[in-house]
Amino acid sequence: MNMSRTTSTLRIQEIVAGYTPGHPVLRGVNLVAKPGHITVVLGPNGAGKSTLLRSIAGFLRPSSGSIVLGETEISALPPHRHIERGIALLPQGRSTFPELTVTENIELGGWTMRSDRKRLRRAVEAMFERYSHLRELRNKPTGALSGGQQRAVEIARLIVSDPTVLLIDEPSVGLSPIVASQVYRELQALKAEGRAILLVDQDVRAAINVADYVYVLNSGRNDIEGDSSAFHGDLGAMVRRWLGV
Amino acid sequence: MLSLFFLPSTRESASGRIYRRAPWLLALSVLALYGVLGRQLFLLSTLGTVFLYIALTQAWNILGGYGGYLNFGMVTFFGVGAYTSAVLFQYWEISPFLTAPFAGITSAALALLIGIPTLRIRGAYFALITLIITFAVQILVLDMPFTQGALGIYLQPLSLTPLGVERLFYYLFLACAALVTLLVYAIEHSNFGWALVAIREDEDAAEIIGIRTVEVKWIANCLAGFVAGVVGGLYAQRILYIEPTGTFAFDISLNVVLMAVIGGAGTWQGPLIGAPLVLLVADALRVTFTSEVNRAIFSVIVILIALFIPGGIMGLWTRWGRGRAEKAAAGGTQGARADEQSVQ
Amino acid sequence: MLEHLAAIAADGILLGLIYAIAGLGLSLVLGIMGIVNVAHSAFIMLGSFFAFELFERLGIDPIISFFLALPVFFVLGTVVYRMLLTRLERVAQAQGLVAMFGLMVLIENLGTIVWTTDTRVITASYTNSSVVVGGLFIAKVKLIAGILALALTAIFWAFLRFTLVGRAIRAMSQNRDAAMSAGIDVRRLSTMMFGLGIACAGAAGVALAMIFPFSPNTQVQWLAWAFLVVILGGLGNVANTLVAGLIVGLLQTLCAAFLPFDYVYLVLYVLLAAVLVLRREGLTLAVRRAI
Ligand SMILES: Nc1ncnc2c1ncn2[C@@H]1O[C@H](COP(=O)(O)OP(=O)(O)O)[C@@H](O)[C@H]1O
Ligand SMILES: [Mg+2]
Repeated sequence: MNMSRTTSTLRIQEIVAGYTPGHPVLRGVNLVAKPGHITVVLGPNGAGKSTLLRSIAGFLRPSSGSIVLGETEISALPPHRHIERGIALLPQGRSTFPELTVTENIELGGWTMRSDRKRLRRAVEAMFERYSHLRELRNKPTGALSGGQQRAVEIARLIVSDPTVLLIDEPSVGLSPIVASQVYRELQALKAEGRAILLVDQDVRAAINVADYVYVLNSGRNDIEGDSSAFHGDLGAMVRRWLGV
Repeated sequence: MLSLFFLPSTRESASGRIYRRAPWLLALSVLALYGVLGRQLFLLSTLGTVFLYIALTQAWNILGGYGGYLNFGMVTFFGVGAYTSAVLFQYWEISPFLTAPFAGITSAALALLIGIPTLRIRGAYFALITLIITFAVQILVLDMPFTQGALGIYLQPLSLTPLGVERLFYYLFLACAALVTLLVYAIEHSNFGWALVAIREDEDAAEIIGIRTVEVKWIANCLAGFVAGVVGGLYAQRILYIEPTGTFAFDISLNVVLMAVIGGAGTWQGPLIGAPLVLLVADALRVTFTSEVNRAIFSVIVILIALFIPGGIMGLWTRWGRGRAEKAAAGGTQGARADEQSVQ
Repeated sequence: MLEHLAAIAADGILLGLIYAIAGLGLSLVLGIMGIVNVAHSAFIMLGSFFAFELFERLGIDPIISFFLALPVFFVLGTVVYRMLLTRLERVAQAQGLVAMFGLMVLIENLGTIVWTTDTRVITASYTNSSVVVGGLFIAKVKLIAGILALALTAIFWAFLRFTLVGRAIRAMSQNRDAAMSAGIDVRRLSTMMFGLGIACAGAAGVALAMIFPFSPNTQVQWLAWAFLVVILGGLGNVANTLVAGLIVGLLQTLCAAFLPFDYVYLVLYVLLAAVLVLRREGLTLAVRRAI
């Protein structure tokens, strides 16, 4: 499974991006996400974290700055061409295809492998090995599953094509604490496989616990950053600063 | 918060208002004067048609232009109005001049009937229903006993000279156009108009801020129905003979949409520009082309405007004006701009 | 009496199958892509004249035209999508609706220029013969057209359900962003889906032309029928569209048999209004997507 994985670093330099011309949400953001690391992006609501991930995934085209994976500039790539390069996005909120079954959902995660049906089927089967609790649900429409099960389907769909860079937006929102901790454990497993993980989260404490490196974004700009250890003691102060009290 | 009070007032001074309105009032006076002085039947009659269409297009504009809910079957309201007056004349010999308001009410009632199921839901259902209902109403009118089917209904000619008739309808339709334009102008500057625009821009948000969107749409639609019905009733007296295919001609619906879109939907000036322009171009084209070619040309124009010039001619005009204003502002003081930002 | 009823029912079912494909393209394009194709029935009209021309000029049977219409109208649909709709995605909904309305008027009038407003019919070798099925006399054309329509519906159903591309198209309508991040080229699949919708309209036009007289300027009546089927069956669901088509077909033949003149239109619109009121929620949700 690991053979095709090339390990490359994602580098973002001074990107400016937004939804309306002339009013950028991101106003010069820099960061690096290394393979085998969980890189966490924190920041108050509306800081531009989701916008950052959407820009990297190609949904928004930066008006300036660069997004480089390994040696290649990818900022002009349309969203559907990112998965070929090994970049996969788990968008904020629910993102399953609710009327399709679990198998069909996961299968579509391997859309880029569709010319080789055998390989695709093997990859989907591997997902059922990995997340065995999904196996008995495989023919159910995903919309009928619980929140935690749906998240599992989303993660399976995300990694079925074996991407090297995972962009993950608030994975634990709306989940029970137990399921949430399973999600974080899964992220660590994915990191151990050598993938670069860029994690955006509102759950500051949980994110810092799994983080290798932390960036803080504020009003579309880099604020502070550092190894996760540097953040452990100081959380309360940081959150207070976001809230402006 | 305090800075709000230092914003320049958006209300113009009285002299500014007069200055802005003067051209329109002047045009209206010239047209009113022409009604007395003009002796050319053809010109009077053509202008009468322009006024008729201005009234219809303004009526369409209320829900279609401001509210974003398009009526592709305006002729239904018009035709039902015409038939109401014609039938009332046929059986009770009441002059359409007296029954025109009643024709308006009948069409408004129909508008409500159409609006109740279709305007409660969002999206294009209203547009689709208005498009296909014309067909159904036309068939019903053809088949109902009291409308005399394809035979149609004859009305009593007025005992006036031809010039007198043309003058009469010239003034009637001019009055209709002016009154409806005034109504639309008032709506544009009222809470009701503002609610319609909110519905067009973001219906969710409009609901959240407490606009009763469904009722607003219903009222706008009934207003359109009423105006079209009155105009239809008067039209019946003008052409003296009403039959289903001509009275419910799809061309009338089409023209209204063309005039609004080309002139600029959602502005009170749009129909004033669109109606004469479309009729003028259509008349010019009619010399060389058949009406099918004519419509094909117009439909291409509409597609192009819809895709590339949202806002039609009025949209172009305001953008041109704003471009000039911005250029002027860029040359002006920096201080004004800083103020502007601090307000945000 | 009972036999009479059975004959009416058979007639209604066959007509219903054809109404189902008339509505299917509209339903899929609206439900999956959120595009209100006001010009749908204009493409149906083109389909009828496609069959007419092939029949009159080359003597090609409408059954063959039915299948020929699929690729031809698919290509036509993709061209229209490329020219108009990719641009249309970027303008407001009302703007898009106006453009589609313009397209409808354009096609109708081009049709009138080419074929005039005369009413046409296609008289194939089997047009006026009937077959006896279980003691019932059934018009052969209706049987043929109905079977063709059923086959097409089945193909669409299977395509969307069992093929990866079909599932990707459904996925695209359920979560556009997630579909794009999975690598699905939404633009390309949308073009394809619109092409399929128009292909369906073209084929429906052929099937309708086998049974009904047609002319360019009466095409809007098919929009009414197609729209009723769509509203009754909900958006973007092949199986429900089929059922809705059958209901409309049965209703029409029953009305025609028991009510005088064109009351069927009155029934149609009352039904339309009732369904719009009753199905309000389901319809609103689907239409909020995209344009
Ligand atoms: N689709 C959008 N269109 C316009 N503005 C948006 C959109 N999504 C987000 N924004 C704006 O961009 C800013 C950053 O949003 P977002 O990236 O979602 O923040 P975060 O994920 O950090 O909470 C906010 O001010 C938000 O209002
Ligand atoms: Mg976010």
